[in-house]
Amino acid sequence: MTIFLIKYDRKNGKLLSIQPFSKKDRENAEKSRLQFELSELNQGTNTEVVILEAKDKRALKRTHRRYFEDLSELTK
Amino acid sequence: MIQSKTQIDKLGEELKNDTILFTGYLQLDEYRLSFASAYQYVFDTIVQETGLMPTGRPAKTFFSIRAKLQREKTRLSQMQDIAGCRLICNGIKEQEHIITQLTELFPDSKIIDRRENTSHGYRAVHLIPKISGKLIEIQLRTENQQLWAETSEKLADLIDPMIKYGGGETEIQKLLHQLSDIIRRVENQEIKRITIKVKNAIVAVDESDSVLEEDLNVYLRKNLNHISQLNEGSEDRRKVG
Repeated sequence: MTIFLIKYDRKNGKLLSIQPFSKKDRENAEKSRLQFELSELNQGTNTEVVILEAKDKRALKRTHRRYFEDLSELTK
Repeated sequence: MIQSKTQIDKLGEELKNDTILFTGYLQLDEYRLSFASAYQYVFDTIVQETGLMPTGRPAKTFFSIRAKLQREKTRLSQMQDIAGCRLICNGIKEQEHIITQLTELFPDSKIIDRRENTSHGYRAVHLIPKISGKLIEIQLRTENQQLWAETSEKLADLIDPMIKYGGGETEIQKLLHQLSDIIRRVENQEIKRITIKVKNAIVAVDESDSVLEEDLNVYLRKNLNHISQLNEGSEDRRKVG
């Protein structure tokens, strides 16, 4: 299992970054998320910062398509 | 350290009203991290006991918690989806099978079946076990239910967050509801086929349900493309504005 720290621009529907962490690094991933979330709240932007845990990126793309696909790809 | 429900709900009120301080966010982070061991138990149990591979979300974002508190009457201490995971099933038959498996693993789970009584068109089954006093939400969606949910969320991101909750442009709502209903019909046909197989009998399919699944899928894609075009129209209007 891999932990992914995802930053997603809601307004434009675009994935900004995806950073993998090993399970041992969970605490670091959580600290990074908190730091980014607080920073985003201060700046008032529309970026979603979330941690997801999945077998791999492929599995993640199946369960959370909107982070990876634009509307036309979703509706193909 | 937050200890009582009253303190948790006070924090929720501050978040909802945008009066929360920096220390409040740290307490809120601590609160959502308090779900970690219950979440991990549910996640690991699913993987180990069923062989399924869920995607887990150990903690809801501040943004989403605040939006939910502002949108609904719920209190922070009552929120059922602070932590959870999602499973995508290959059709309604597998969805039913997984519900049975998970109900055996987590017998006291609350089950919210949104397949007939949809939430603004959203169809899925949510199982909510309570582990050591913490509620963990397991979302079960078929591929088609997932397609609808992701499309609705994407439109909410791009156009109007209220689309997910029955608001926004009327034409988009109308199409989303039509699509949800089409998916319901496709899945009901699947249920009917399962029933036929189980009963080992030849049963004529009703005239009203005689549309083939393949045809419904073509219709589904066509309408999703229409939604896509509507979004392009909205983008153009925004640029002009």
